[in-house]
Amino acid sequence: MRYGMVVDLKRCVGCQACTVACKSENGNGPGIMYTKVLDQVSGEYPNVRKQFVPVLCNHCKNAPCQRVCPTGATYKREDGLVLVDHDKCMGCRACYVACPYNNRIFLKRGKTKSGYYGKEMTPYEKVKYAEHQDGIVEKCKFCAHRIDEGITETSCSQTCPADARIFGDLDDPESKVSRLIRSRGGRQPLCEDDTDPSVYYLD
Amino acid sequence: MGRAIPLVEKEFVSGFRQQTEWAWLIASAFFFGKVGSGLFIMSVVLDSRLGMLVGLLIVLVGKGGAHFLYLGRPWRFWRGMARPNSAWIARGIWAMSFMMAAGFLLLLLPMSSALYMPLAVFASICAFVVAVYDGFLLTSSPAIPIWNSALMPVLCMFYSFLGGTTMVLFMKHMGFMQLDEKFAAFLPTLEIGLLVANLLIVLMFLMGSINTGSAGRESFDLLVKGPYALPFFSLAIGVGLVFTLLMSVFGGAHAGAGTVALITVADLVGHFFIFFLLLKIGVFKPVLGFLKI
Ligand code: SF4
Ligand code: SF4
Repeated sequence: MRYGMVVDLKRCVGCQACTVACKSENGNGPGIMYTKVLDQVSGEYPNVRKQFVPVLCNHCKNAPCQRVCPTGATYKREDGLVLVDHDKCMGCRACYVACPYNNRIFLKRGKTKSGYYGKEMTPYEKVKYAEHQDGIVEKCKFCAHRIDEGITETSCSQTCPADARIFGDLDDPESKVSRLIRSRGGRQPLCEDDTDPSVYYLD
Repeated sequence: MGRAIPLVEKEFVSGFRQQTEWAWLIASAFFFGKVGSGLFIMSVVLDSRLGMLVGLLIVLVGKGGAHFLYLGRPWRFWRGMARPNSAWIARGIWAMSFMMAAGFLLLLLPMSSALYMPLAVFASICAFVVAVYDGFLLTSSPAIPIWNSALMPVLCMFYSFLGGTTMVLFMKHMGFMQLDEKFAAFLPTLEIGLLVANLLIVLMFLMGSINTGSAGRESFDLLVKGPYALPFFSLAIGVGLVFTLLMSVFGGAHAGAGTVALITVADLVGHFFIFFLLLKIGVFKPVLGFLKI
């Protein structure tokens, strides 16, 4: 079992619905995004190409963030998920500079103490922000809490209106993700860094 | 890929991206770690207890304090010792702890003690690890190509020796350290040799960084042409190495205490800025560099 995601760049319309779904699922405050969609412009006028590139933690099989973590806060599960134990993290940010994908977020002091409307938090924010801690590093969890409850679909992939994000088991040759990677030649981001990401892009 | 993809700051744009998390506090920790351990090693060789004490305090208060201030959850620092098998930070914390324990014990022992020599060797080895582990820490991260250089630990080692030698020179001229005459005469030559060696290693590092791919090239450009060029050429190279070298060559190290104090300050300024700037110019690659026209 190795959970992974396929991102179909031909389908992504850059609506950021996944970004918002993730924020709402995880109760992330202002400026905290486990996933987002980047605009990538390449080439030079008049040969310019623009694409929307959804990015998230790749849950790398050979994760440098885990290797450099001195506390063991970053750990790997049997199902391939790379997670952070909030109670162990000391906020050294070694993982932040070791992640080639720049997919980790440091929660500065006070980050969980104010919401979108200032210090006065909404009832939703009060409940959800309590799940976070200041002074530590966080990142996408591939919706581990949903998987643990038997929902094998991430919030972002469920929300995507264009079906550009597909979640599934990379070890199962018959899963949709495996079939897409085979048929369309999925590419891993920055594969030269030997991280073996569990997110594949179809372009 | 390459130059057609920009260096970006905006959150929702893809491109080369500068790292923003490790800056002056980490640079200070690197700086104090190297100067303190360099001074400690030199003082062990020269049998100077005051030098050892100052070296230990620089590492403990300077390096330890900077790390403590930097951590998001400082009181969990002890957790950082959990994974020495794979994490250089954990190895560094262990080395620093052993250096402190062995170093302070050494200060309490008489030199005639049978334990003195083995403890001195052990403490010096730990101090050496403290001096160079940041280099391995930076090298071991694949994310930022300019850091991913085998010369990084060498750079750390030579800067530590240079910092230690400069501090010894300073302490000697201020009358805090009595040195064997032969060694005292050799010290200025050692300082000049180390300054030349550091200059050459910095040059080799820069030449090597041109070939570390497109992100390495972005870092290189930031350092030599971009916003960091002025502090790099003026403070890190100009003040830290060239001015120090000229002052040392033209009699500085043999001259009065004021001149040696000036050399010391210049050397330390350069030392701090070279590592601060190397941290600042760290650039991540674009996630999907393969997307081209
Ligand atoms: S994408 Fe970054 S944070 Fe996620 S597992 Fe890979 S190295 Fe770690
Ligand atoms: S910031 Fe936390 S998760 Fe990241 S390396 Fe440090 S202790 Fe580990």
